[in-house]
Amino acid sequence: MKLRTIIAVAATVALVGGVFAWREYAREKPDTRTLEAEERISAKDLFSAFVADEQAATARFVGTTEQVVQVNGTIRAIEHPDPALTNVLLETEDPLGAVVCEFPKAAVPSFWRAGDAVSIKGICTGSLIDVVLVRCVPADLKN
Amino acid sequence: MKKPINLIAVVALLPLSLSAQDRYATRNGHITFHSSTPVEDIKGDNHKVTSVFDAGSGAVEFAVLVKAFDFEKALMQEHFNENYMESNTYPKAMFKGTFSGQPSGALKPGTYDVVAKGDLTIHGVTKPVEHKGKLIVAENGSVKAESKFNVKPEDHDIAIPGVVRKNIAEVIEVTVSLDYQKM
Repeated sequence: MKLRTIIAVAATVALVGGVFAWREYAREKPDTRTLEAEERISAKDLFSAFVADEQAATARFVGTTEQVVQVNGTIRAIEHPDPALTNVLLETEDPLGAVVCEFPKAAVPSFWRAGDAVSIKGICTGSLIDVVLVRCVPADLKN
Repeated sequence: MKKPINLIAVVALLPLSLSAQDRYATRNGHITFHSSTPVEDIKGDNHKVTSVFDAGSGAVEFAVLVKAFDFEKALMQEHFNENYMESNTYPKAMFKGTFSGQPSGALKPGTYDVVAKGDLTIHGVTKPVEHKGKLIVAENGSVKAESKFNVKPEDHDIAIPGVVRKNIAEVIEVTVSLDYQKM
């Protein structure tokens, strides 16, 4: 009886552990639409923050774990560097760089054009020449 | 319509005596790394490689944000950033060097076997490297650079815990594809 109990408990623990491990292994990245923005800022101010102090801006906007930034700005250009991806470049009032928002292609509203004022949520990954946000989605301006 | 890219800050690092018409740049380069083992395949993509190439001197640089790598599974991405690349401490990887093997002077349409030689910095560790690649010059003047090479994590002080050693290849295959536009 005692041995049966031990086996039953061990099997249950192994089963629960296995299910947990598999779910963790197969876990998908969260949809940006479901995540709350931790920062809301204009494209100009976001770009300026990285130019002024990249280390401080990285700590604030990139953080130590993925965080969503909602950025408002005017579209400078829309580019299609890859069949599956679209870049929406936001004006920064600095010709040296832009805030580049990488969207899955289907996520970009078809009516967006250069010159439009838009609000975008994305994961901020840092700055090279541009400030780069990935996994972007349109944000509701009312938020 | 693609706008010309202004990468003055990067170009400033290149020799000043070169003609601007020899310079090419991209902010949308593609880099992938692929780890293949019997246990699992792991692939990461980054479509935000920023690079400048000076055809006059052969000087080339590229840089990537480590956190902009995209993985199929969230756990892979978390382990990549937190455990292996330590992207909070080392947020960028970069290469600085030269292409050789292409004809000197203005680039003419064709495909050229080139060698990329320079310093590759990953995880804060810089190593001299030399890899074969191709430089493809189209009739319209656009330039594409491609290279596939191997990187050993241990060469860049990237520690792989014993418990996942069988999941991660000892040699990672890296593929770089850079579609340049004239500056």
